Amino acid sequence: MKPTRSNNKTRLPVVFIGPGLLVLAVLALVPTIFAIVISLQDRELGHTDAGWVWFSNYVQLFSDRRFLNSVSVSLIWEVLTVSSTMAVAVLLGVLLFQNTTPRWRNALCMLFIVPVLLPRVSAAFVWKFAFHPLFGLLTYPYKVITGEPLDLLANPLTALLTVAFVDVWQWGLFFAVIVLKLLETLPSQPFEAARMDHAKTWEVYAYVALPMLKAPLISLTFVKMVESLRAFDLIYVMTRGGPGISTETLDMYAFSQGFIESGRISYASSMAVLMMVASTVAFTYIWKWTRPSS
Amino acid sequence: MKKQSSLSAGTLLARLVLIVAGLSALVPVLWTFINSFKNRVDIVSAVPKFIFTPTLENYAYVLGREAVAQGLVNSILVVGAAVLIGAVLGLPAAYALARYPLRWADDIQFFVLSMRFLPPVAVAIPLMVIWLQLELYDTRFALIVTYTLLTLSTVIWLAIPAFKAVPKEVEEAGRVDGYGPYAIFFRVSLPIAARSLIGAIAFGFVLVWNEFLIALMLTTSDAKTLPIVASELSQLGRDVPWGILNASVILLSVPPLLMVGVLSGFLNAAFKRKREVA
Amino acid sequence: MSLVISSSPEQKMSAISCHNIIKRYGETQVVHEFDLDVADNEFVVFLGPSGCGKSTILRMLAGLEDISGGDLHIGGRRVNDLPPQERGIAMVFQNYALYPHMTVRDNIAFGLKRLKVPKAEIDSRIKEVSDTLGLERYLQRKPTELSGGQQQRVAIARAMIKTPKVFLFDEPLSNLDAKLRNHMRIEIAKLHQTLKTTTVYVTHDQHEAMTLADRIVLLRDGRIEQVGSPKEIFERPRSAFVAGFIGTPPMNLVEMSVKDQGSHFELSCKAGVVHVNARQFALEGRERATLGIRPAHLQVDTSGGRDGGFFGEVQLIEYLGNEVLVSFSQNGGESSNEISALMPSAQAPRLHERVSFVADPQQVHLFDIDTGASLRIDKASLH
Repeated sequence: MKPTRSNNKTRLPVVFIGPGLLVLAVLALVPTIFAIVISLQDRELGHTDAGWVWFSNYVQLFSDRRFLNSVSVSLIWEVLTVSSTMAVAVLLGVLLFQNTTPRWRNALCMLFIVPVLLPRVSAAFVWKFAFHPLFGLLTYPYKVITGEPLDLLANPLTALLTVAFVDVWQWGLFFAVIVLKLLETLPSQPFEAARMDHAKTWEVYAYVALPMLKAPLISLTFVKMVESLRAFDLIYVMTRGGPGISTETLDMYAFSQGFIESGRISYASSMAVLMMVASTVAFTYIWKWTRPSS
Repeated sequence: MKKQSSLSAGTLLARLVLIVAGLSALVPVLWTFINSFKNRVDIVSAVPKFIFTPTLENYAYVLGREAVAQGLVNSILVVGAAVLIGAVLGLPAAYALARYPLRWADDIQFFVLSMRFLPPVAVAIPLMVIWLQLELYDTRFALIVTYTLLTLSTVIWLAIPAFKAVPKEVEEAGRVDGYGPYAIFFRVSLPIAARSLIGAIAFGFVLVWNEFLIALMLTTSDAKTLPIVASELSQLGRDVPWGILNASVILLSVPPLLMVGVLSGFLNAAFKRKREVA
Repeated sequence: MSLVISSSPEQKMSAISCHNIIKRYGETQVVHEFDLDVADNEFVVFLGPSGCGKSTILRMLAGLEDISGGDLHIGGRRVNDLPPQERGIAMVFQNYALYPHMTVRDNIAFGLKRLKVPKAEIDSRIKEVSDTLGLERYLQRKPTELSGGQQQRVAIARAMIKTPKVFLFDEPLSNLDAKLRNHMRIEIAKLHQTLKTTTVYVTHDQHEAMTLADRIVLLRDGRIEQVGSPKEIFERPRSAFVAGFIGTPPMNLVEMSVKDQGSHFELSCKAGVVHVNARQFALEGRERATLGIRPAHLQVDTSGGRDGGFFGEVQLIEYLGNEVLVSFSQNGGESSNEISALMPSAQAPRLHERVSFVADPQQVHLFDIDTGASLRIDKASLH
């Protein structure tokens, strides 16, 4: 085969990137454009034709109390799950790094990866079953002590916390493994130096180890922020948005508007467009903020 | 860091916490697993039962239902095809983006990454309308095309760092040995990065196998994937058939759980490089 | 600018005392019965090839490794079970081990902040230390913005500011290029003159050891080969290993047959003959011995071989500037039989020329052919 002189002369980049990029672009842009188009109409499922109502869907949204509730639920959900996941991940990762032998570490790592591999719906069912008020394994002690069944999913406050718990269960344990691996990549000498500098163990982590991992930890937080938007599966299985609308996030509401309740596709689409715009803007901004060099 | 040679109270407490966390990862799943072998009577008892006569009834029911069998087939076909297409289109693209400095490489990378920012419902709603209009609603084809978006973007996102980690010197040695750029990709870069690439593809597989919302919105009867079928089993009237439900949850979870080993290895490989450099 | 040193009673007690220190990893013993007393204000260098245990012993002194057996006293206190921060030591690591995300100032102040030292005192101590090491301009920079030498100075500053009883250096200059290494070596020497803190310094570079040390501890395979001043070790090596390790270019070590001639011994090999005084060396009853002679102590033979000497064919000439290193041998080609001699460049021979050299009789060393131990009658003691 004739050796090529330099990268510039080959068509490989075009050949390799072209098809994939084309497919991605089509798959991404077509729905986006369609979503915008639909949101400007008054389409409903089952009817083939629809008229143009321009921005009236959007206007309607902002006086829709249920919509505003879903926005606040989604925001609470984001903050709650992201912060809890990172806290659990850092805590368990540090404990793993500091207090275990390699054999224990491998075993625990394997265990910690199990939850995140489960389909969200599986995780939801597994915990719904474990928390079942009548015959759940974990509500049993409460029943024995108080004589009353504990129905976590029937109470508006505990319902959201319970679903969030499952989310953190899946992601927090997995992230703990990643934090552990990150800690293992750090050189040990700054820690030894810190020890000699009279730092107690927790101070070594707080002042040296974790700050050294600032960049990857921020990336992880970012990943979790994006993942938290996909909580639909959990909520759908565990509470369907209830009790009432206390666990109805944005995507749950959009789904119920477009699918279950009224088939108001255009209304749902306007929510979808808002979600797309908000998440793209927010995440682009955060992405650029965490990577000033690029 | 110097390890404590003696077991202090702090260490014991820490290990306790870790064991509790590890158990929390395992026990609920195990509990579901055990209960999938129980008769209904044993499940709905007020006191959780650990001793019971096991039965395969639930599994027989689940596996015997046509909907489940079809759901399984659909999942395998749809996920398999989407992963395959994602790999075939995505790996070369990732390689080119990693190795060839293009003007727009960074922007393309960001564009790919931004695919992941989109909330699934935002994608599913317009797609639902599109497939309806094209009369391809509730077909495996529609799902495959939709899932390809996810697998393609995931594969590219994770494969770029994997290719960047292949030592440039080895590829340059290949060039000197007379290999053209395509040959270098197939014979040098791909094999060397294989471990991480398999991890990336496995990740894409798990992602799409577990996907629920999009499938829920784009299918009604023919193309339903296994997660949808599993969740529907819980809607059979007021009496939730927990035994059957547990059995279907276990079945649904088996394929991705088989990837524990692969993903563990992927994580280790990904961080091993950094550890060796440090 | 010099630091004010308070002469508290503790200052008198900064000696280190190692007694029978051993280190085991599982079944493998890597340090054997290490005995050493380091006096106040002394600069001791641990020298030896890779794997000789020098870093392990240093880390045991620091408390970063457990001591498997024996007693370690610092300042009169038994410190075997004390953690590093309670031993009154400060360490400078090979890779500097600076905190990469903190400024130079925060790096230096980190230890004092953990001890809750008042801010005003921290500020004044930082000023003193950074003035001494010339770091005033770099206080607000991050370590990655500094050169290797500057980073090393920050590491030293971080150790200095704690006014420890003992400084420990773990191959601090290994990561620097040759020119910087020279410069930093001089700085460390001057620093010791100013601070006079007891120092244990680990290196594999004999040049550093010879120029910095009050005493050198030469180690091999976890055991002490010799302890002595640089002069002692250079002029009176206790073993062939020490003799071959110290000195550049390395000492020639040649196997010779011994013949007792009454008033003197005649040592001979294929490449030459040397006569030695019977009273200086314990050669009775021996048939063979290893002879050591440094390249600088071989002079060109002007007497035609009457006083004995080495001869052969020039195999290699290395140009060193003022001098050349001439390697010659009898058998032609086999480097194990080669002998090297230093001579002025102006008189350099040509390749394959026949040359002969005379050994300075005062500079001849003899070692047991099996154990390598020095056969000198008045040989240096171990400590």
